[in-house]
Amino acid sequence: MSAPDTARARAREIDRELLRRLHEDGDESARERLVQRHLPLVRSLARRYSGRGESLEDIEQVGAIGLIKAIDRFELGREVSLATYATPTVVGEIKRHFRDKGWAIRVPRALQELNARMSATIDRLTSRLGRSPSVAEIAAELKTTPEEVLEALEVGTAYTTLSLSTGPGIEEDSDPMESLGTEDEEFSRSEDRASLAPALALLPPREQEILRMRFEEGLPQTQIAERVGLSQMHVSRLIRKALGAMRDELQ
Amino acid sequence: MSDRIVLEAPLDGDFGSVVRLIVGGIAAGADLGFEEMDDLQLAIERLYAESGGQERLTIGFDLSPGRVRVRLGPLRERGLADALQREHAHGALSLAGVLDTVVDSYGVEEAADGRLFIRLVKLVAT
Repeated sequence: MSAPDTARARAREIDRELLRRLHEDGDESARERLVQRHLPLVRSLARRYSGRGESLEDIEQVGAIGLIKAIDRFELGREVSLATYATPTVVGEIKRHFRDKGWAIRVPRALQELNARMSATIDRLTSRLGRSPSVAEIAAELKTTPEEVLEALEVGTAYTTLSLSTGPGIEEDSDPMESLGTEDEEFSRSEDRASLAPALALLPPREQEILRMRFEEGLPQTQIAERVGLSQMHVSRLIRKALGAMRDELQ
Repeated sequence: MSDRIVLEAPLDGDFGSVVRLIVGGIAAGADLGFEEMDDLQLAIERLYAESGGQERLTIGFDLSPGRVRVRLGPLRERGLADALQREHAHGALSLAGVLDTVVDSYGVEEAADGRLFIRLVKLVAT
């Protein structure tokens, strides 16, 4: 057996062991490790769909949800590798995302392109200026108007809404909120508002961590972005999406 | 001298993105940086989403050098105001905890006629 073949066989063995720990022992850390191990696959698949008006980071995020679904649905009796099994699920999730949101149909191409360029521009300006850039500065850098910058930001924000039902460990046919219990019907809305914590556990681990850094540690988006390796704009969208999804689920 | 802008928006239907876009425009006009603008949008977006039980919400903006003051209301229900006034642990994931992080100050204002308003202040980072 050649060295690459040996490495592949070893990688499959590690995957198998992690899948066994997840499915038989309920070891959630095994899922997280599997996700990390296969993120390069997601990135590679996501790149095929870049240039369609959405940032690569966003496509990767959608693809990662497909990966989590594949990990959770994988049956240990299967003879295929996790990478082989996950590929169509990841691609399917990305395709569905584009289809469901109808981005290419409804949003003018110029705005799609502007949105796609925005993320890197904000990060570059933040680094150059040593502070968060104003909309006017972003517009000047992109040689456009502040109004178009706002519109392109809004397009990206409105476009990034995913249900908590697609989170890890949640079967498609079940309602994740069933696990929160329903007997406290009289539980007042103000109590709900007082704490979003019950829905926190339903978020993907990365979003939980981002919320913790933002609202417990009080870190600015720029620092969170550095820590998790995303753009500031992407961190902003994840925070908004996570808070909105938590509220939706609690209601 | 401050500039005042008042927006009245329906809560039914999908007007959240319209409100966010307008808030972005106002924040940009007040020279807030991208992150401060995003913070203000998030604060208003969450309050807008939580203001159930009424058909419309009025959001007033006072723009003066170095800061944006926002006043939302009147609220038909006390629930939202109560949630913001309740003691909460620092760093707890709650609406009050979110506001603690994203605006410089916030509070509940009770007018003489008993009507409730929420006010927020966002400062321009120096």
